Amino acid sequence: MRMKQGIWGLAAALILAGCKAGGDYQGLEYAPNMYHSVAYEPLTQITDEGYGVLVNSLDNGRGEYYNTNKFNPFGMNMRLPAPNTVRRTANGWLPYRGVNDTTGLRLANKLINPLTDSPAILEQGKLFYEINCKHCHGAKGAGDGKVADKYPGVANLTGDAIKGVTEGHIFHVITYGKGLMGAHGSQVSEEERWKIARYVKQLQKN
Amino acid sequence: MKKILSRPVTILTLALVFLFNSFAFAQQIPTDEAAIKAGEALFNGNCKSCHRVKQKLVGPALAGVEDRAPSVQWILDWVRNPARVIASGDAYANKIYNEYNKSQMTAFTSYTDEQILSILAYIKAEANKVDAPPPGTTTADTTGGGGGVPSGYLNAILIGLVVILVLLLIILGLIINALKKYLDQKDLSEDDKEIVHSKYTFNTAIKSPAFIFIVVFLVASVTFKNVIDGLYSIGIQQNYQPKQPIAFSHKIHAGQYEIECRYCHTGALKGKQANIPSANICMNCHSQIREGTNTGTTEISKIYAAIGYDPATGSYTGKQKPIEWVRIHNLPDLAYFNHAQHNNVGGIECQTCHGPIEEMDVVKQYSLLTMGWCIDCHRKTDVNTKGNAYYDKLLELHNSKKALKVEDIGGLECAKCHY
Repeated sequence: MRMKQGIWGLAAALILAGCKAGGDYQGLEYAPNMYHSVAYEPLTQITDEGYGVLVNSLDNGRGEYYNTNKFNPFGMNMRLPAPNTVRRTANGWLPYRGVNDTTGLRLANKLINPLTDSPAILEQGKLFYEINCKHCHGAKGAGDGKVADKYPGVANLTGDAIKGVTEGHIFHVITYGKGLMGAHGSQVSEEERWKIARYVKQLQKN
Repeated sequence: MKKILSRPVTILTLALVFLFNSFAFAQQIPTDEAAIKAGEALFNGNCKSCHRVKQKLVGPALAGVEDRAPSVQWILDWVRNPARVIASGDAYANKIYNEYNKSQMTAFTSYTDEQILSILAYIKAEANKVDAPPPGTTTADTTGGGGGVPSGYLNAILIGLVVILVLLLIILGLIINALKKYLDQKDLSEDDKEIVHSKYTFNTAIKSPAFIFIVVFLVASVTFKNVIDGLYSIGIQQNYQPKQPIAFSHKIHAGQYEIECRYCHTGALKGKQANIPSANICMNCHSQIREGTNTGTTEISKIYAAIGYDPATGSYTGKQKPIEWVRIHNLPDLAYFNHAQHNNVGGIECQTCHGPIEEMDVVKQYSLLTMGWCIDCHRKTDVNTKGNAYYDKLLELHNSKKALKVEDIGGLECAKCHY
């Protein structure tokens, strides 16, 4: 009798130990409906039509967890904004329209930073510099970030070649890249670029 | 007519300049150690972003430039004002200007002859250096040695311990034997003799109540613990560590190269989602870095396939397909969570919830992500009210000496997260 109970206990323990997530196994879900979005969820996609068919309450023959917008490219739940869409920004700025060539760069040299000259702007510039630039250009702008060990051609921002450039020039180069530097316009907004430009000029003064 | 005339004139002047330089004021490239040192500093500070000594980068490799260029004086002019040299119609200047896609070198107007010559001295010294052995061999040696030594020590220690234990057993056996012999020599009563010569067999040991109790107790407690743990783990995805379509290592990117989390996860500072970076962010570095530390080209070529990049020609083909990353952290729809509120407003580090990501080759879910886990943090965490006028009145009303917790500003209200 005692033996039997023991065996049942062991079996229960073994089965329950299988509920634990780890490796490729996501673990057992209890009342799973809320873990799976009914609405199209961005950054998520379940293409298997039969997934969760047992818990479907809609009688549409599909799995409850099926989450794919089949009208989009690759069945993704996100799609690109319509062409020529611009982002709404807090201060109403439109996207930078300078052209990515030598003429564009020459014109950008004359651009004036629209942000006011305040310690708060500089502080935010430092934050964005440290997020976006530091790993290559280094904390002090000397081109000695960790990535520069491996990545060729990282500019020394405090060197004579770049010391004299304007904030507009820095703004343009962040947007489109220059030399071996990639374009960062997609990940750093206009406002952030101007803040970084302000901070880089500050770095060059020190 | 003018052209025909001007060409011999330029050649003549060039020839004259060349003669003038090589015989009259031959600019000597210094060879002393101090000049090379000074040149190295200048080179690293100003030239390195576009030039290497032995490798073509944005600009040409500089090894042997003093033999290649028309003259040393030409190099001095070029470095100080490349635009003027090109405009003067100099053949060599125009040749390299066209060769490098008409991108003009930055002018270093303030450099003295001495400074530029010291850079040349450094280049010459570097160019004459024999190439170091290929990095692969040296790194393999060091990593192999570094990995082998500690485990070797561990084995030695374990073997030593086993040897000591066996010796102890033998010594104890010898002592028991000696004591038995000593006791046998004495006159003992029957009872005492039985104790001295009592037989402990394996069977009697197993059947003893003490042994059975210990075994049952151990099995029961392990089972009980497993049952409770198992019940608690239902619906919790902590330690979920799926294999991703590209073996991206956070340990290398965020750990070794110290790339900020939010360089790629651009949304963490300004949106609900931290965002999975699109492949163009990968290409900011991997257009140049084509071989990975762990996997060589196999994994990086998957980025190229996704974004439609041909590394041979360095151009985009336009054939793109999404990378199907496996989602690890998943909150149920009933709970609202916003990255910007925590990271930007609250100033919470990414690692507080995601764990030591910079040490993970494959990312796993570090935190429980249960409601209890959220609430616990909201009870314990202080709100940073310093220098923030938004909280002034609230602090005044609370008028307490204790720091304001997230709980005190509505961090436990149901509708903060469930609506």
